Amino acid sequence: MTPANPELVDRLAAEYVLGTLRGPARRRFENWRATSPHVDQRCCYWEEHLMHMAKGLKPVQPPPHVWPAIRERLNLTPHGSRRRWTRNLALAASIVLVAGLGSLLYWRSLPPVRATAVSIISTKAGDELWQVKVFGNTNRLVVQAEKLPARQAGHDYELWALPKGGNPVSLGVMPTEGTSTRALTAIQKSALASSSQVAVSIEPTGGSPTGQPTGDIVFVAPLRASG
Amino acid sequence: MTPLDQPSAAAPTEFDQQLLNLLARCAAADSNALKRLYELASPILFACLTRILRRRALAEEALQDVFVSIWQRAGQFSASRGRPMAWMMSIARYRAIDLLRHERNVPALVPDLPERLAAQPETESERNSPAWLPPSGLLEHCLALLTERQKHCLELAFVGGNSHEDISRLTGSPLGTVKSWIRRGLHSLRQCLEGAAK
Repeated sequence: MTPANPELVDRLAAEYVLGTLRGPARRRFENWRATSPHVDQRCCYWEEHLMHMAKGLKPVQPPPHVWPAIRERLNLTPHGSRRRWTRNLALAASIVLVAGLGSLLYWRSLPPVRATAVSIISTKAGDELWQVKVFGNTNRLVVQAEKLPARQAGHDYELWALPKGGNPVSLGVMPTEGTSTRALTAIQKSALASSSQVAVSIEPTGGSPTGQPTGDIVFVAPLRASG
Repeated sequence: MTPLDQPSAAAPTEFDQQLLNLLARCAAADSNALKRLYELASPILFACLTRILRRRALAEEALQDVFVSIWQRAGQFSASRGRPMAWMMSIARYRAIDLLRHERNVPALVPDLPERLAAQPETESERNSPAWLPPSGLLEHCLALLTERQKHCLELAFVGGNSHEDISRLTGSPLGTVKSWIRRGLHSLRQCLEGAAK
C-alpha cells in the first residue's frame, strides 16, 4: 500500500535517516516504517544514498576489549569453529572408546540433546505456524517455520520472550521457511527461564529498531518445559 | 523497476559481496564470520559512533549493541535492501541517536571534532572512495549543487548526529532557518538524485 501523501513520507524518511527527526515523532515514524513497506523502502533509499556523506570519516580501531565483550554477550565460544572441531574430535574419540566398553557407558557419555522448552505457535483455527525449541544445555534456539500466512513485504515476524515482571526480550526474527538455529545470549536465556509465554510481533524487516515490540503482537503462545 | 524502488542501482562491489557472505554465515550462527565482519566493519562503525556520541566509553558500549544486533538480525538482511554497509551503518547511527536522548547532557570527554569533513584537507587516497564505501560520485555531485549552508547543516546532522537545535546553536542561526535549510537541502538532493536516475 502506498500512503496517500508520498511527498510527506519521503520528507519524513529523509529526516529520519538524516537523524533530525527526534523524540516522539521519531518513535511514531519507526512504527510507521514497521507497518508500511513503502515507508521502509523510502528509508532504505535514503540510507543507501546518505551513507556517502560519511566518506570523510577516518576509521577508528576500537580498543581490544570490545570484541571479547560482544562474544561474551552473545555467549560465543572464543575460537568459534576451531573449538567446535576440537570438541567434535574429543567426542568422536570418546565414542570409539566407550563403544569398546559397552553401550551403557556409550549412551551416558553423550550430552542431552532434547529441547528444554518448547512452544507451538498456531493460528486460532489451529494451523501450526512455528515450532520453537529451546536447547538450554547448548544455548541454542531452533525455530521451524510451518505453513505461514502471507506476509507483507518489508515486514518480519519477531519472536519475544515474556519474562515475568520484565519487558519483552527479543529472540530474533522468525524464519519464513525452513529452520533457523540461533545462539542464545545470556540475557535471552535468562528471560526464557522466567517466561511461561512467547509472543510474535510484526516488525520492520530486520526486526524491531528499538529493542522492544513496535508493531502489533499477533501471536502469543505458552512456552512449556520439556525433556 | 525504477531506481526509486531500488535502494542501490549500482552493482555490489567485491567488498559488499564479502559482507553479504559473512552476514549469511552469521545467520547460520557461525561466530567466526561475526569476528571477521567485526574486523572489517568495526573501525568505520566505531568512527561513526565516536563522532556522534563524543564519549569513547559510550561509543564502545554502543558498538557492542550494534554487533549484538547485527548477529541477531543477520538472517533478515537481503541484498534487495541495499548495501550491507548502509544497513550496518544505519543500525549504528540509529543506536547512537537513541543513546543521545539520554546522554547529551553529559559532558563530552572527547573534544568536539570538526564537523566539516569536506573542509579538511584531503590526501590523494582520501579523495578516492575508501574500501568500505562503493565509488559513487552521484551524491557528491548532488551535494555540490546545494548552498554551502544547506550542505553544512546536512553534514552536521548526518555525520555529527546533531539535532535541529544543536545545529542552530552551532551555526548561530535561528531554529526555523536551520529547519528550512535542511528541508530544502533534502528536497534538492532528492530532485538531483532522481533526475540523475532517469
